[in-house]
Amino acid sequence: MIANAYELIVYILTLLGVYEPVLNIFQLLGIEYVLKIIIVLVEIGILFVFVLLTVMFLTWMERKVVAMVQARYGPMVTGPRGLLQPVMDGIKLIGKEDIVPAKADRWVFTLAPFIVFIPALLVFIPLPFGQSLIISDLRVGLLYIIAISAVSPIAILLAGWASNNKYSLMGAMRAVAQDISYTIPLALAAIAVVMFTGSLSTVDIVNAQNGTWFGVIPRWFIFLQPLGFILFLIASIAEMGRIPFDFQESESELVAGFFTEYSGMKFAMFFLAEYAHLFSVSGIIVMLFLGGWALPILPFVPAALVQLVSLGVFLVKTYAVIFFAMWLRDTVPRVRIDQLLNIGWKIMIPLALLNLLVTGFLITAGVF
Amino acid sequence: MNPAEELKQKLPAAVVSTGMQLNKPMAVIKKEELLNAAKKVKEMGFDHLSVITGTDYNDHFEVVYNFFSYEKKQNLVLKVITDHDNPEVDSLTSLWKGADWLERETYDLVGIKFTGHPNLIRILLPDGWVGHPLRKDYDMNTEQFVTMGEGGEDVVSTDGGNLLRRK
Amino acid sequence: METDELLINMGPVHPSTHGVLRFKLRMDGEIIKECTPVLGYLHRGTEKLGEMKTYLQFIPYTDRLDYVSAFPNNYVFVKAVEELAGIEVPLRAEYIRVITMELNRIVNHLVSIGSLLMDLGAATMIMWGFRERENALQLFEKLCGARMTFNYIKPGGVREDIPEGFIPQLNEFLKDMEKRIEDYEQLINSNEIFLMRMKNIGVISAQEAVNYGMTGPTLRGSGVDYDLRRYEPYSIYPDLDFKVCSRPEGDSYARYIVRIDEMKESLHILRQVVDTMPEGKIVSNPKYGIAPMTGTPSAVSTYFPRIFTPPAGEVYSRIEAPKGELGFYVVSDGTTKPYRVKIRSPSFCNLTAIPKMVVGLKIPDLIAAFGTIDVVLGDVDR
Repeated sequence: MIANAYELIVYILTLLGVYEPVLNIFQLLGIEYVLKIIIVLVEIGILFVFVLLTVMFLTWMERKVVAMVQARYGPMVTGPRGLLQPVMDGIKLIGKEDIVPAKADRWVFTLAPFIVFIPALLVFIPLPFGQSLIISDLRVGLLYIIAISAVSPIAILLAGWASNNKYSLMGAMRAVAQDISYTIPLALAAIAVVMFTGSLSTVDIVNAQNGTWFGVIPRWFIFLQPLGFILFLIASIAEMGRIPFDFQESESELVAGFFTEYSGMKFAMFFLAEYAHLFSVSGIIVMLFLGGWALPILPFVPAALVQLVSLGVFLVKTYAVIFFAMWLRDTVPRVRIDQLLNIGWKIMIPLALLNLLVTGFLITAGVF
Repeated sequence: MNPAEELKQKLPAAVVSTGMQLNKPMAVIKKEELLNAAKKVKEMGFDHLSVITGTDYNDHFEVVYNFFSYEKKQNLVLKVITDHDNPEVDSLTSLWKGADWLERETYDLVGIKFTGHPNLIRILLPDGWVGHPLRKDYDMNTEQFVTMGEGGEDVVSTDGGNLLRRK
Repeated sequence: METDELLINMGPVHPSTHGVLRFKLRMDGEIIKECTPVLGYLHRGTEKLGEMKTYLQFIPYTDRLDYVSAFPNNYVFVKAVEELAGIEVPLRAEYIRVITMELNRIVNHLVSIGSLLMDLGAATMIMWGFRERENALQLFEKLCGARMTFNYIKPGGVREDIPEGFIPQLNEFLKDMEKRIEDYEQLINSNEIFLMRMKNIGVISAQEAVNYGMTGPTLRGSGVDYDLRRYEPYSIYPDLDFKVCSRPEGDSYARYIVRIDEMKESLHILRQVVDTMPEGKIVSNPKYGIAPMTGTPSAVSTYFPRIFTPPAGEVYSRIEAPKGELGFYVVSDGTTKPYRVKIRSPSFCNLTAIPKMVVGLKIPDLIAAFGTIDVVLGDVDR
């Protein structure tokens, strides 16, 4: 059984007959660990490139979905169906002047985009893309994900504060208030899932959803935790900062919220982080409630193709969630900040606690 | 009954003459009695102050108030004539809040002062603008340059000294 | 809790002030304590220009006031001049005028609702609105060659007769529009978040609305059932059957609903006008010539006199424009140019009430309330 992507690479290299001779060379030199580091770097590189490509694709997809809803074409000129538009956007943003406002806190101002961007990538480490496609199966995977996600509001606060702009500051304040009030229901909804699996490991969570009831219904947690799923979905859309909860930006009120003063590559990093976040959060929703890469047909797939099929299953489910988020963005207006906090504290947290209570009761009673 | 005549009956001291502004009954009011007349007009049910117009007639100014009654569906026009040197009439802001901006606009563009207005400053043109454009003697040939000062205030000059000039 | 006050300059360059308007906001955290609108960034001296142009030369300038709905601007100035000079207008010309004005009302409300929803964060409505607006603009283009600034209505009639194919296209638009309005209502009206944002926001009572001189849908949204088309009729409105839409609540939602209802009424009016459209001349006074039924605009314009002198006098003429009561006060001294032109623009007067409406609310509420007031800065600053 291949546990993670490292072992998968080793397995593929062994199949190709390359691993043994190379390992021998390194063992001869007594620097076996260098090979390990190289392989780890390669897998991280693959993940990085994959995430960046996905993010670029998502920006294109977002524009196309919006265009579809709004009876337009969206980008059509650059490449087939405008598919190369994100590349052009990237080139344009690199070419832009990098403006730092005169009265901004220069050091913090420059640091903030990186602090937003790096956690957005780190979240992917314990996320299982396929049966063995995981960088590292952390034993505290879920805790790690929630903890890492909590870094981004700090970066947003840094950005808003350092810009020395009232709109930025208000956007940052809103982002923090929103994040605090929505991380709690998010975590509470996730804990209900953990109560079933008894493990924080992401692999265990997905494995627990592998299989079916009565041979028909997949054992996804969405069927055991419908309320938890809805709470988690709403809370994660708020975490992502997308309409109807896009308070950090809310462009019609705060111009562009916390990144009003950013331009060029720094702006691009916020932008990329936002879409990386969209992808990772959708992946987490799939992993927790929609069975991850698990699908009842997976046992019937030939062993050689299992990795690819499971990756495909995971991506299809993730894109379904992403599409939902984009669709939502086009149909609903933004709620007001106080209404948002009201929903968070007065409705979502009590409901999440209730969900936890009922789940615990039912598990103790042995219903599940 | 014609509301202008009715006003004349109620306030004979205030109304100079009555007539028609094309198809709308009009009463010319004494300058000092404007506020009284306006109060009476409001009592008569003219709740909508539609527009305030100031016109420069070279030797005098006319301030025209167009009223309308939602209840009676009637029009009434009040006209006040002021002298040209120091045009000043009473403000109606205490009776109609909508008069606030209309009076500020008339002050801004025609230069008629409204005594008792709580905030009689320019509304369309920047503070410090020279002259009132809708006066007939307004100097159209003098250019005025507007920029923003350090504190966000408007800076106006006629020689362009406040502009950033290219060498 | 005592907190520091925050001074925010919203505008003149801001995504949701619909142009170059500026709000000086004194804020306590997120709550507005005082709101002072600062105007004049788009002031072009239209009233002064009116004194310097002949009557006919000034008509194109009226297009540029409220550029979202320019036909009513055209019409009300021409109406003032016609009243001043006592010019009769042939019935067919009045029918054409009403078609243009009611179409323009629909266009205006589409833009208004679209930008309101965009400010609230739902960008779909403005795209849908602009899709239908495009159809209407194509109708305008067919009629007079221009899409936004028309210069179409002239003293004594209209510039050109309805071109061939216009009425079928209009009928198609009316049929399409009916379904579209249902779509809008499905998208917006039952949206819980939309209701949360709009209900009980920017409330103004009927009495206050009248006192502030608010007119149009903003006044009707406060429960004052008043429409100049009904109670001070002009053109052919007395012959038409339509409802005056009003809502008693006086909040942003009521103003929005009034606009949706008015679009439906406009469709109803347009259907009647199309059905009963008479044949005949499109310009009345034989002195001014009769424009040919077809022809290039330049050929047609020679039938209108370049110089036109109404008798001395003054007139205040007002109509129910899409945004409210639009009035032109024109003083003639018997020369070729107006002595004084005063424009009573609905946007300007409706905006007066904004500081009252938003005190104690939050910035997002200011945007919701401001969106339902529906101002165009060309109309505010003139």
